[in-house]
Amino acid sequence: MAKKIGVYVCECGTNIADKVGIDKVLAAVSPLKDVEVAERYKLLCSGDGQKYLKQSIEEHNLTHLVVAACSPKQHELTFMNVCEQAGLNPYLFQLVNIREQCAWVTPDGEDATNKAIRQIRAAISRVRYHAALEKKEVECSPDVLVIGGGIAGIKASQVLAAPDRKVYLVEKTSSLGGKVRIFSKLFTNMESGFNLIEQELQSLVENENIEVLTESEVEEILGFLGNFEVKVVKKAEDKELNFNVGAVVLATGFELFDAKGLPQYGYGRLDDVYTSLEFEEMNISDGPTKGKILLKNGKPPESVAIIHCVGREEKGYCSKVCCLYSLKFDRMLKSQLPGVKISHFYSDLCVPGKSYQKFYEDTKKIGVTFVRSAKTEVSGNEKGLTIKYKTEAGSKGDSAADMVILLPAMENSGDAQKFAEMLKIPLDEKNFFVEEHRLLSPVASAVEGIFVIGCAQGPQNISESIVQSEAAAGKILSILVPGKKLELEAKTSEISESFCTGCKTCIDVCPYGAITFDEARKISVVNEVLCHGCGNCAAACPSGAAKLKHFTFPQIYQELAGVLR
Amino acid sequence: MEEGFTPKIVGFLCNWCSYNAADLAGAAKLEVPSSLSVIRVMCSGRVDPVLAATALLRGADGVLIAGCHPGDCHYREGNYYARRRFALLKETLETLGLDSNRLMLAWISASEGRRFGEVTNEFAKQIREMGPNPMKQKTSL
Amino acid sequence: MNGEIEMDNKGRNSPVLVIGAGIAGTEASLLLANAGRKVYLVEKASYIGGNVIKFEEVFPNMECATCMIAPKQQELLQNENIKLLRLSQVEAVSGSLGDFTVKVRKKASYVNSENCLGCSECFDPCPVEVDNEFEEGLSKRKAIYIPCAGALPNVPVIDIENCLRFKGQECQLCQEACMLEAIDYTQQDEELEIKVGAIIIATGFKSFDPAGISQYGYKKFDNVYSAMEVERLLASNGPTQGEVILKNGEPPKSVAIIHCVGREEKGYCSSVCCMASLKVSRFMKNKLPDVRITQFYPDLCIPGKTYQKFYKEVKESGVEFIRAEVTEVSESGKETVVKYKSDEGKEGTLTVDMVILNPALEPQADSSELANILNIPQSKDGFFSEKEPDLTSVATIQDGIFIAGCAQSPKDITETVAEAEATVGRILSLSR
Repeated sequence: MAKKIGVYVCECGTNIADKVGIDKVLAAVSPLKDVEVAERYKLLCSGDGQKYLKQSIEEHNLTHLVVAACSPKQHELTFMNVCEQAGLNPYLFQLVNIREQCAWVTPDGEDATNKAIRQIRAAISRVRYHAALEKKEVECSPDVLVIGGGIAGIKASQVLAAPDRKVYLVEKTSSLGGKVRIFSKLFTNMESGFNLIEQELQSLVENENIEVLTESEVEEILGFLGNFEVKVVKKAEDKELNFNVGAVVLATGFELFDAKGLPQYGYGRLDDVYTSLEFEEMNISDGPTKGKILLKNGKPPESVAIIHCVGREEKGYCSKVCCLYSLKFDRMLKSQLPGVKISHFYSDLCVPGKSYQKFYEDTKKIGVTFVRSAKTEVSGNEKGLTIKYKTEAGSKGDSAADMVILLPAMENSGDAQKFAEMLKIPLDEKNFFVEEHRLLSPVASAVEGIFVIGCAQGPQNISESIVQSEAAAGKILSILVPGKKLELEAKTSEISESFCTGCKTCIDVCPYGAITFDEARKISVVNEVLCHGCGNCAAACPSGAAKLKHFTFPQIYQELAGVLR
Repeated sequence: MEEGFTPKIVGFLCNWCSYNAADLAGAAKLEVPSSLSVIRVMCSGRVDPVLAATALLRGADGVLIAGCHPGDCHYREGNYYARRRFALLKETLETLGLDSNRLMLAWISASEGRRFGEVTNEFAKQIREMGPNPMKQKTSL
Repeated sequence: MNGEIEMDNKGRNSPVLVIGAGIAGTEASLLLANAGRKVYLVEKASYIGGNVIKFEEVFPNMECATCMIAPKQQELLQNENIKLLRLSQVEAVSGSLGDFTVKVRKKASYVNSENCLGCSECFDPCPVEVDNEFEEGLSKRKAIYIPCAGALPNVPVIDIENCLRFKGQECQLCQEACMLEAIDYTQQDEELEIKVGAIIIATGFKSFDPAGISQYGYKKFDNVYSAMEVERLLASNGPTQGEVILKNGEPPKSVAIIHCVGREEKGYCSSVCCMASLKVSRFMKNKLPDVRITQFYPDLCIPGKTYQKFYKEVKESGVEFIRAEVTEVSESGKETVVKYKSDEGKEGTLTVDMVILNPALEPQADSSELANILNIPQSKDGFFSEKEPDLTSVATIQDGIFIAGCAQSPKDITETVAEAEATVGRILSLSR
């Protein structure tokens, strides 16, 4: 079919017209092959300008459009819309930047005019090779899989579940609630974690749109955003469940660093050296000590030492919540044993935000000592435990205590590696899941459609975990809308079956894992749902099989040839 | 008018960072060499070494590839690949008898309008001093 | 044009009002718009981006903040579902979840954004020069201006408090310079009434003014700077184009960075300043490899999986850390003297070329006004209060009104964005 290219040069008021000799430009481009019309206009982006453009496209039956005006960052979308209104595929269009990158940066008028001619000529050469692209849509499931039934998983399920959106909540143990369930008190309101969980579970159980699968584990997840195929095994019944979801939320929580690995604290060797979780368990009202804080000899402690940052140096990060929950411990201790002496051994106090410093100061007032120690050791004999400490300046001291509570670092759960492999989401050097973007996308993982929330993402407190649950819900609810299809990027990559040699180079270089290998046909295939259109595969492909739509080699080559002629 | 011969310089600018910087240079009315012709790509990782080499063989006196700073790539890693390809291409050009200084890779972030001006002017000056591309006479369009 | 902005739909998919176009407001608006919801984004200033666009580099990856959010800002300005109302403030709110009526006052910019192309020809002729607030007073601007190169939208405003014409004198130099008839002195403030189903407060923070604590010598001595001023000095689109130079034109050879300025007065830890100090140290060392930097701090607040590593790297680069309280900053000739008392009681002094103060983060000055309008309680420091502290920071006692970011409590960008996304999660799940 004969091509009819329309070239329109915008004067942009005086911004372009003052510097670029537009008539000269028109004279230079009009005679070029396939150029049907070449005109100038005062302000193409204005309402009138757009109307004029639309009419002109229709009048001349144009097959392609070139507009020379401001930066595509300003008005590419505007003119693409005009094309659509005029019945022209919006991708058969090229915008030439002769304002920001020509008129505004070239002092000499003749130079500016020649540059404009060059760039417009290149655009005309390029646009001839443009293909009409269509925005594709794909069906997707609005349902969500939540892995992990702790506070984060529970909250995420509640925010997400709806009559048109089912949530599958999979928990590997027999009960929901995770760690929060065993906290008899939470900071800073000192209310019961157990009660909080009970409340949440009540509304969860009543929610028909949430299917709770306890004593169950996820065995396999295949697929991609909008179309994940999940296999869950109910351990007790040895039953397999298969279902489809659109998104996966990983909320597998944390474990504590094993303090046995640090002999200087005496954990596992000396009596009455406890980890924070063990202390929490001691306080459970129907727990082994019926909620009473007792030493191994059955007596309540008269003095307690709390040692911060256990494993911090080894792990290389600060676990954020320990300073705060140790203050909670102070209050729990003083509440049960008003006369107890408490000493903290810490290096830096971490109490960020509007309310935590006050919590610290108020806790101090109830009779708690804070000793800044660069190095702390615990030793013991039949008389009890001794805490030896050394300050940053070098002075030494020691302190006796009946009970020592260690605050070990928070680690990702033991399942982390399993899920990293299953979901193909990377773990960082600290063994926490890597976010899509550290600052701008904290709950999304490197794989689209898979979210990581709570302590599996990084050490954080309950409020932050809940915020992350709601954040993941926010992202999911905005992408996977029930009844709506997923709209895909039009300028994606595609791989020609006939040219592909199956070398898999493209698979290696794709930052989004959007290319898979088809074993049957022995070629690489692009998943358009995951492709972001960067073109790395096209650049890497040795046989030219991989092409980035709208930025193909011929298109760029023509543009290149146009500027070099 | 520029002194000496008027070089032809092609700049492959990535859509998210360097192209934005070029626009910013415009908004600030800085001077950018008129000998520079800009080709926009989505990512510096799109720039095939063949494209860059073709530019030099088809009449460009200098080729500039500009992307986001390492770590800032809009597509995560595209610019790392650009760096690798560029390094290999530089070596290959030498074996083809071309001065590899005609090829330049620069990291220019979206807010570095002034830097865009500096880099392009410096590169244009360098190319003018180097003289016309000897390959040009043999294979230009 | 006074009157109503057409209300599109009610109830289930009602529009949302986002107050504040910083990173939290931007993120929430885009997420809502992509879900098909209409957003009214009300921003008090003439530009979008809040505080984040003032930082050239942000921790922990030392990314360029402006580059990072530039694509988001462009999307924001071009998204059909988002109506940006700049120079606007919420004046009254009535109603409840699903059906709020909001009165917004949109101040006149005196520049017609339809006609204006952002060519900046109107700046040069303006005879008025005042301190540029965006640049923390380190450079000047005209009465018709945009705050800095690259600020969006790229449409200037006239500051009528300093503009000669608006003060009664004859002057139309800017209008004469404009080739597109974009300057309109007759523009009026507008009163708009919008109906929304939910509201997000994302008004961010401002820095505590260190001039209130005389021992630090802020505004007394030339070489004592606040953290925000230094961010602008470090920025390539800032008053010195990214060159770190003192008021005497020389780069500093030695710098003291003082943490927790105002912490005692305010009674809380501002969460991000330790990291910001580390970032500034790193950035400065990149620009001035031989600079000697000493940090004075009581506690190091570097929580989470990435910050400690950052600290270690900064420490290994030769930055010194002294755990001490700074008791006095004074001047001795051309140099500045920092007197300190260490954690263990030892006293000392350090002479430096430059002192950088890290002040506390506070809510915006008009937070109380907004809290009253929305009927939301505030903490004694003015932060908007969440409904259930310890459970989620984004919900307030008013159903349908949410908070995100530093308006609730000082926090870093990661947490701010998570909160913005969380408010969207709450809002999108409400309409069931």
